[in-house]
Amino acid sequence: MAPTVKVGETIPAGTFKYIPYTPELESNAACGVPVSLDITKDWKGKKVVLFSVPGAFTPTCHVNHLPPYLQKYDEFKAKGVDVIGVLASNDPFVMSGWGRFQDVKDKLLCLSDIGAEWSSKLGLSMDTPGGARTARYAIILDDLTIKYIEVEPAPGVSVSGADAVLAKL
Amino acid sequence: MTPPTPTLQAGDTVPDGTFRYIPYTEDLKDTVTQSLDITEDLKGKKVVLFSVPGAFTPTCHVNHLPPYLQHYDDFKAKGVDIIAVVAANDPFVMSGWGRFEGVKDKILCLSDPEAEWSGKIGLALDMSQLHFGIRTARYAMIIDDLVITYIATEPGPGVTVTGAEALLAEL
Repeated sequence: MAPTVKVGETIPAGTFKYIPYTPELESNAACGVPVSLDITKDWKGKKVVLFSVPGAFTPTCHVNHLPPYLQKYDEFKAKGVDVIGVLASNDPFVMSGWGRFQDVKDKLLCLSDIGAEWSSKLGLSMDTPGGARTARYAIILDDLTIKYIEVEPAPGVSVSGADAVLAKL
Repeated sequence: MTPPTPTLQAGDTVPDGTFRYIPYTEDLKDTVTQSLDITEDLKGKKVVLFSVPGAFTPTCHVNHLPPYLQHYDDFKAKGVDIIAVVAANDPFVMSGWGRFEGVKDKILCLSDPEAEWSGKIGLALDMSQLHFGIRTARYAMIIDDLVITYIATEPGPGVTVTGAEALLAEL
C-alpha cells in the first residue's frame, strides 16, 4: 500500500471526532461529548505527529504501538511537537475509552476517523470483514505540510513507531 | 428515534447465531477471538442477555452495565448460568470495555458485528447518519434453554425495562 500524498505536499482537509480529556472522565462515571477537530483549522502553524492503528484494543496497537508514544511524550515535546494524535476508525467513544484504558490523559489525542474516510483519501485504508479500517501509518506535519509519511510494510511496528518518528524530528 | 419492536416474544425460541468474543483470562493476551454458538452453547442454560448501542457510550457505560456487575450474586442466586452484554463493536473493543469495567469472567462481552443477530429479531438500529453504522438497540432478554421468557426494549433514553433490577424481578 502506498500513500497517495507525499512529503512536501499539504495534508488533505478533514475532520476527526474525539472526546477531549477532562479529569472527570477518570472516575469512569462519565463518557464525555464528542467534538470535531478540523485539520486545516486546528493544526495550522503546529507541529503534529499523527499515528494510525487498525483498531483500538487490538494486538500490536494496544501493546506495541501506542505505549511507546506515551512513554516518550517528553522527548516529542523537547523536539517541538505540539500535538500527538492516534487515529483509528473506531467511534469517538471507543477511542476515548481506549485512551483512558492506556492512561494517556491529555498527552495523546485519541481521534476517530470513522469509516476510515479521511485515511482513504490518502490511500491509507484497508477493507476488512468488519468494514474499512485505517492502515498502520505515521505522519509528521509542520504547519499542514507533510514532512514524513510512512506505512508499515508488514505486521509489527517499525517505520510508524515512536522511535522511527522521533528520529525524523 | 422510535425504538424497534422485537419480532419475537416470550415463548419463542431464540434464532440461531454466533457471537465473537475474547474469553477472559488473567493475563489477557488479546489475541484470540472465539465464537459462541447460540444453539450449542446456550442449550439447557438460563441466560440473561442485555444489549447496548455501543461500548463506552454514555448510558451504557455508566448506567446499564455496572448494575449487572453489582447484582452478579443476585443473578446467580436466581439460577442464572450466563450474563452477557452484546453490542455491535468488534470483539477486541468488547474485551477492552469489559476489562475497563472490571467484569472479569462475570459477564461475557459479546460482539454482534453489524448487529446481524439482533437484526434477526428486529432489534438493530441504523445509526449510519451519525456514521456509527448498524448498532444493536438497547434491549434485554431472559433465555431459558433457548426459549425466550422475557424480552424488552427501552422505550426511550435511559435504562428501565432492560436494566438489572427489572430483569431480576422477572427471574
